[in-house]
Amino acid sequence: MSAIRSRLMMSALLAGGIALIPATACDRLPGRPKAAQSAQEGSPEWTVEVFNTSCRGCHAQGAVGAAVPLMDSAYWRAASDEQVTRGVLEGQGMLMPAFGLSGGGPFTPAQASALTRGMRALWGGGAQKSPEISGTLVAGNASNGKSVFDVACAGCHGVGGSAGSVTDPMYLRLISDQGLWTAVVAGRKALGSPAWNEPMPGRPNGLTTVEVADVVAYLSSQRPRSMSELKP
Amino acid sequence: MKPPRVVGMAIDWVEARTGAVAFLAPLLTHHVPRNAKWWYVFGSATLMFFTIQLVTGVCLATLYAPSAAEAWESLRYIDEEVPFGWMLRALHGWSSNAMVVMMAIHMLQVFLHASYKFPRELNWVTGVFLLFTVLALAFTGQVMRWDQDAYWGLGIGASIADRIPVIGNQVRGLLLGGPIIGGETLSRFFALHVFVLPGAALGLIGLHLALIMKNGISEMPKVGATVEPATYRAEYEQRMEKDGVPFYPDAAQRDMVFCGACLVLLVVLAAVYGPFGPGGQPDPTLIDTNPRPDYPFLWIFGAVSLLPPASETAVMLVAPLVGVLALVAVPFFANAGERAPSRRPGMVLIASLAVMAVAALTWEGKTSPWSPVMNAWSALPTPEHFLAGRTPLEVQGANVFQFAQCRNCHSLDGLGGERGPALDAIATRMTPDQLMRQIQQGDGNMPAFGRNLDSAQMTALVSFLSTLRPEFEAPAVIPGAQLPLPVQRMPGEVVTPVAVGSQ
Repeated sequence: MSAIRSRLMMSALLAGGIALIPATACDRLPGRPKAAQSAQEGSPEWTVEVFNTSCRGCHAQGAVGAAVPLMDSAYWRAASDEQVTRGVLEGQGMLMPAFGLSGGGPFTPAQASALTRGMRALWGGGAQKSPEISGTLVAGNASNGKSVFDVACAGCHGVGGSAGSVTDPMYLRLISDQGLWTAVVAGRKALGSPAWNEPMPGRPNGLTTVEVADVVAYLSSQRPRSMSELKP
Repeated sequence: MKPPRVVGMAIDWVEARTGAVAFLAPLLTHHVPRNAKWWYVFGSATLMFFTIQLVTGVCLATLYAPSAAEAWESLRYIDEEVPFGWMLRALHGWSSNAMVVMMAIHMLQVFLHASYKFPRELNWVTGVFLLFTVLALAFTGQVMRWDQDAYWGLGIGASIADRIPVIGNQVRGLLLGGPIIGGETLSRFFALHVFVLPGAALGLIGLHLALIMKNGISEMPKVGATVEPATYRAEYEQRMEKDGVPFYPDAAQRDMVFCGACLVLLVVLAAVYGPFGPGGQPDPTLIDTNPRPDYPFLWIFGAVSLLPPASETAVMLVAPLVGVLALVAVPFFANAGERAPSRRPGMVLIASLAVMAVAALTWEGKTSPWSPVMNAWSALPTPEHFLAGRTPLEVQGANVFQFAQCRNCHSLDGLGGERGPALDAIATRMTPDQLMRQIQQGDGNMPAFGRNLDSAQMTALVSFLSTLRPEFEAPAVIPGAQLPLPVQRMPGEVVTPVAVGSQ
């Protein structure tokens, strides 16, 4: 008799337990679908989501990612919002495709500039663009640039240099003047390249703003003007 | 514990007018084999899931709007605004999958134990029809979600129908209610899902159960206990009389415990994982979609995706026919003799192969490695160890690698598409020249990129790819380059070539 009783009790408890799951905690159960709401445009969540699907492949943190790292305050100190937004919308050089609607991409101009502001807020380290140096290309003197390059850069970045040559015509063909400017100004810390005002071998105090412009002008002058100049 | 007198009086009153007890009592107490134990619970569990489908399905039908314009929105309404609505959909969806799984297990057990042999051939045949009815319910149920999965699932179903020779067009029209997927299609599938198929299932279940009552539950197979159609029935009835146990409560309590456990599992799955879909709006202009069929059909999706294109029509149209016929035919060419699996190795082999094939194809369908990962190029960064210490040109090559969307088909560090080979160590297998040729001209499954990349991009890409190898492995070389370097020849001098390893 007691066996039957305990069996009945067990069954009742089990049934009650099953019924309790939905009855008590229905709203907090993990399976409940979340109301479909996409993150507010310009919010940090939205920025991260957009960055992760559209930008991260090339522009990820540190040395991860092949192009200029956007999760890096060094870049945001050098870049202006207008320039980043324009890059997003129109692309840049030969390897950054246009992400604006008119270029076949997903973003309206408003979204591109919201994305830029969102990224600066997340990764700019609180810094506005550094007033010390322009974010966009400034014209310089190529022959002065060559002498600066030979002293400050060629040790690592010249032909046969430890970091590989930046005067390689194929490399120069692929990178725009603005790309060179950003590379010199922001550096690639994680890959061992200093920013413009950081110590370099042969230049303990880095470069001056004029020297940056001159070096970029020199590198630009080394770029082959047509494909026929390239000898692979 | 004695029931109150009034209960007994009520039962007597009903019994006198309907004969219900006299009808039900033999059903409940009919004798079943003593040794059946836990092997025979799967059919009952399938029936329980079907009952849950009926109850939750009727509830859902009161909330669902079966019109193309409103269906998707009405699912959102059920999920978000109806109290317990999402739970209802979750139970219906999970119970549907559970029913298919339970049915497959039940069928496998019957097949392995050869319970389909005389006199239970028609039990098996009605079971096969039930299987297809339930699969049809699952497919039409997926259409009810009216999302992208439903839309493209229908599209694939319709184009398979379209392949039928001569009448393909008409069959597709019949299926879709017109030349294209539209409002008519949903109405048609709704009618199938809530009237025709459940009705068919109910009828078949009734028949299946009636046949079980008529023929009795089969015993556990025993080596040497062969089925002889001439004498089987009389002997079976004799054995049940002597050694059987009444279905209720002996076997029924095991069924109840197992069904109870299944029910708990179902509620937990529904509560934790929630309802299926709906995915995106069923808009054919949205091409940024990755539709997949529901679980019961993933293996078909996998099989169809892996078919060589030339064989598609033949396999898609013939294989299902052969499959149905083979399943139906099982008890007719093997309805007597041994039932023990150990004496039927061929059948055990067939069952094992079928299970493995379905499992493997389901896995393939789920992971679908043949599909490029369309946002890999913009979402998956080049791993750091493939960039550190590279020259500027090689780093630009990594940019080309992302820019040209190589990553969508080729993984690095296990991340990226799997349509092409992983490229982590490509430099150990291909020389720069071979890489250049492969990228420019394409080969095998790979399209040619020669027209999409200029020579600077190509050079950068190849120089990047040429760095992709572990430090301890040598780079690839052209086989001929392993020969000793030829001696500089003077005019008129004759040099005999020396084969490698001949010294």
